Amino acid sequence: MQLQILHETRYDYVPAVETAQHMAYLQPLSNARQQLMRHTLVVIPAPAQQTTTPDVFGNMRCFFSLQSAHEQLIVLSDSLVVTSARETPASAVSWEAVRERFRYTAGGAFDAACEFVFTSPYVPRHPDFLDYARLSFGVGVPLMDAARDLMSRIHTDFVYESQSTQVNTPALEALAQRKGVCQDFAHIMLACLRAMGLAARYVSGYLLTEPPPGQPRMTGSDASHAWVSVYIPDLPQDSPWCDFDPTNDRCGWGSPGEEYVTLAIGRDYADVSPIRGVIHGGAHHTLTVGVTVRPVESGMQTQTQSQSQSQSQDAII
Amino acid sequence: MKDSATPLFAGDAPPVPNASAPTAGGTSAGHFDELKGEGAQMWRHFFETLGADDQGDLNQRSASLARQIRDNGVTYNVYADEGGPQRPWSLDLFPLIISPESWQHIETGVKQRMKVLHSVMADVYGPQRLLAKGLLPSALVHGHPGYLRAMHGVDPVGGTHLHVAAFDLARGPDGNWWVVSQRTQAPSGLGYLLENRLAVSRLFPKAFESMHVQRLAGTYRTLVESLKSMSPAGDDAHIALLTPGPYNETYFEHAYLARYLGLTLVEGGDLTVRDQHLYLKTLKGLVPVHGLLKRVDDRFLDPLELWADSTLGVPGLLQAIRMGNVLVANAPGTAFLESPALLGFLPALSRHLLGEDLSLPALPTWWCGERSAMESALPQLREYAIKPTYPGSVIHGDFDAVLARTLSTREVDEWAGRIVRQSDDFTLQTYLPASQIPTWTAAESGGHVAMRSVILRVFAVSDGPQSWRVLPGGLARVAGATADMASMQRGGSSADVWVMTHDAIDTTTLLKPTTTPGAIAHRKRLVTSRAAENLYWLGRYTERAENLIRLARITLEWLHGEEQNSEPLLEWLSTMAITNTLVLPGVPSAAQARRVFERSLIASLGSTELATSVGYNLRALRMAASSVRERLSQEHWSIINQVEEQFSEQAAPLTRTGEYSAMDALKLLKTASDHMAAITGAQTDRMTRDDGWRLLSAGRHIERLGFLANSLATGFETRSVLSEGGFEAMIALFDSTITFHAQYQQSRDVAALLDLLVLDRDNPRSLGWVAQTLRGRLSKLADSPPDQMSALSQAVPDPQAWELALLCEADTDNHYPALLELLGQCRQAAFTLSDEIGALYFTHSALPKHSVGA
Repeated sequence: MQLQILHETRYDYVPAVETAQHMAYLQPLSNARQQLMRHTLVVIPAPAQQTTTPDVFGNMRCFFSLQSAHEQLIVLSDSLVVTSARETPASAVSWEAVRERFRYTAGGAFDAACEFVFTSPYVPRHPDFLDYARLSFGVGVPLMDAARDLMSRIHTDFVYESQSTQVNTPALEALAQRKGVCQDFAHIMLACLRAMGLAARYVSGYLLTEPPPGQPRMTGSDASHAWVSVYIPDLPQDSPWCDFDPTNDRCGWGSPGEEYVTLAIGRDYADVSPIRGVIHGGAHHTLTVGVTVRPVESGMQTQTQSQSQSQSQDAII
Repeated sequence: MKDSATPLFAGDAPPVPNASAPTAGGTSAGHFDELKGEGAQMWRHFFETLGADDQGDLNQRSASLARQIRDNGVTYNVYADEGGPQRPWSLDLFPLIISPESWQHIETGVKQRMKVLHSVMADVYGPQRLLAKGLLPSALVHGHPGYLRAMHGVDPVGGTHLHVAAFDLARGPDGNWWVVSQRTQAPSGLGYLLENRLAVSRLFPKAFESMHVQRLAGTYRTLVESLKSMSPAGDDAHIALLTPGPYNETYFEHAYLARYLGLTLVEGGDLTVRDQHLYLKTLKGLVPVHGLLKRVDDRFLDPLELWADSTLGVPGLLQAIRMGNVLVANAPGTAFLESPALLGFLPALSRHLLGEDLSLPALPTWWCGERSAMESALPQLREYAIKPTYPGSVIHGDFDAVLARTLSTREVDEWAGRIVRQSDDFTLQTYLPASQIPTWTAAESGGHVAMRSVILRVFAVSDGPQSWRVLPGGLARVAGATADMASMQRGGSSADVWVMTHDAIDTTTLLKPTTTPGAIAHRKRLVTSRAAENLYWLGRYTERAENLIRLARITLEWLHGEEQNSEPLLEWLSTMAITNTLVLPGVPSAAQARRVFERSLIASLGSTELATSVGYNLRALRMAASSVRERLSQEHWSIINQVEEQFSEQAAPLTRTGEYSAMDALKLLKTASDHMAAITGAQTDRMTRDDGWRLLSAGRHIERLGFLANSLATGFETRSVLSEGGFEAMIALFDSTITFHAQYQQSRDVAALLDLLVLDRDNPRSLGWVAQTLRGRLSKLADSPPDQMSALSQAVPDPQAWELALLCEADTDNHYPALLELLGQCRQAAFTLSDEIGALYFTHSALPKHSVGA
């Protein structure tokens, strides 16, 4: 499936910002399941300096800095990707066997995935996660089944509520409230998996949503999305990760589905937040984010829409 | 025992460590006695050369040492908060003496460890082969918050990750030295140990000279030279020392070290990154910085990529490091090396990386995350110290290290339970009773030697790419009488470390033998915008404190004078007291209720909360001074501290007794006034006339201009100055009594008054002199383009245009319109100038930074 993603971020500042430095994670990854055809990142006003380099996980991050006063900052990301769905291969490895791979013994075998076993800033360690997770992890249960069960339980037990949490709501709070947004569900699922000693990573991306029947697709009505990727070592070696989206109860090898676009992977949101920055001046700011994901007929020219309806702060579903 | 035949140790005097009562004397059971080790000969020599056979002499030296530490302002800010007490550094009289043999062993071992640690850094931030080979657990790297993913793949400029590291060593009962821990993020001690050396060597000059003690300067110089040569700018590099600021517990040492090493002392707010290069913001614009010796913990370094809420770092710094545009010592990301758990893996890492066994062993250490290690250690838990694997981590279980032997059986079981449940978080280290050294406890009659446990901190510093040397000295940390572990925060102390050598002494100093004109030009001190702002306020607070003290004195003196005070004079004093916040608003005037007014004035003197009277301003003065501590002479800084401390101490009893004694208050104000004169002296006579000083001076004169103009205007408005007492009070407030009477005897002519207080450009207290000086200072500031500066200096009324005859014109109602207009202009000028100076020179660094995120 060919998908075009327009992601517009706008900051309005009062008073003007004098100097600013930003770091953006807005370039979709290229991998076995997703091919990046085209990507442009336009910053208005034009930055004094702009550099794109890969980070430790292979994501492309863009640094840019503004050295003159500005009252508004617009970051326009325009990407075209081709995604493909693949059938998820069978996997039988038990979750305990996977956990044991990460246990350290002097001079013993090392599995690089163990980097994703540890606690991270947005994925704290707490017995409540263990208590919640345990139900899905019976003795000898294959990890694939346990993860799918955990995902479905989160999907069933939790209420999706767009205004219920802030971007930085701790996962523990969302767990107690049994509600949140996609990012919270991803962090909760990560915390549960890691509590069981398993390796799992955070995926930031987009999801193509179908407009209601008879309605045209609204520009800017989509949003960033987030889900979880679990390390399952008996999957084919080129991609031993299976993705689980607890918000929509969808999973699949390398991606939950063809309508999903992977932007970046990390330990949690903190590693791959779409834009972060430090500004000098501008005591107050208003943030507006608009995301549009739409299918593009193969071979058809894509149009870049410069206008987009804007969404409020809460741009993450 | 009388085998140690030194004067101090011989005879029947009690302070003989080996002969006196156990509490005061010998080592505790199980500890190595430094006096009896292979260095026994040297200790004996030390005590012989003291040439002191009575304890009085040691008491004297002890007192002199304490005075020296206090006078030098050596502090360790224990609680590190804004209002918190700065505690004087604690230093013992006797040094720890280390034999050449011991030292050689330590030096070799520390250098070897440095090589291993550096190779570990290079691997962890590169190919991570050590993890793949199972030599290093992922939990201690990927699971450690000190491993910075943002630094992965970065090859630091100069090819070196580690430039400075500290190793804490202890000597076991068997006489062997053991590594207890290591510090790499921002190790402290390099400044304190220098101060210790200066103080102690000065007290024992004979012993120091005769004992072949290794000198330290050469090593410090090597460090600075190697940082320069590895930085992108080479030998001409501009290196700065990055400090978290005056509220950090070891700020004293940052300032001290920066001064000693000739580095610019900077805070994060002084720096900015432009085009991926690092710059210092100064009064004259942006100045490139090529290297940072950092004393800020890693996670605070760059709010863009690391901890977003940090105000101590520089946004974009990591990107500048990545591009090789700045050297940071040490490279960010070394904190995982500080985990005690790592010690257990270093022997195997050394064998793998260097093909060598570590010559200086660490205490046996077991990381509980390795199941076999935990299982074999748990049954003997009592023998260990339990330490956190991730000290200071907010996302792990952090706790204070405990000695299991001090716990009850039940507590030990509870710890064992915790360890089994969350084994990664715990590290066990064999307990070692540290060796003990003699310390001197002074007492009024006598004093005695007491043996105390000691931990030795030594430093490895860079002397070129991937090469290090060990500073031949160190910081000895001495445990308190009851504690077994040495900690400054828990009442411990420190001692100088004398490293002996059989070789020649390296007498290098940090003074360059040959100074090129280029180097001299480079030495001109930069004035950072932040320092400039603090100096400006230092000037204003100094002047304001001085004015308030004088006003308070005059007010109290006149209220208690022989003569009957006129109504206008009382009104003038009351108005002045209110506008200058010497009394709280709403207090009845002196004319209405003289005693109430007086009590309120006395009660407010020492207050640092409600009223902004003398005490408040002295405190503000000290705060401003502490931010520019490194620019002030020792005398200047200590009087500022002294006046604030004394004043707040002695102002409290004024109200406590309920007496509100004006006599006592006047005595207090007199002392404070004398101190202020000394501060003024230090400011005019002991500071370099650079732009920082110009701003300090401008601050003083702006404050003075506003205060004097206001006082004089109020004097004429209330007609007070036309009364006999009011006239005298006015010239007293202008500090011009003597001058006036010398020139005009007993005349009380308004023209004479205005001539001396307004027009006279030789009287530093006249408005004319103040205005002229201010114009001069402002026009010399920061080499500014003439048009800009003329605007600033022209905001000050030009005294050349003032005419006495015009100013003396009064209407029948004794109203002086021309004079009052001029005074109004002066007050307005003081007000607007302050804003304009701020906008021009300070605000680009004064605006707060915010983090944003989508």
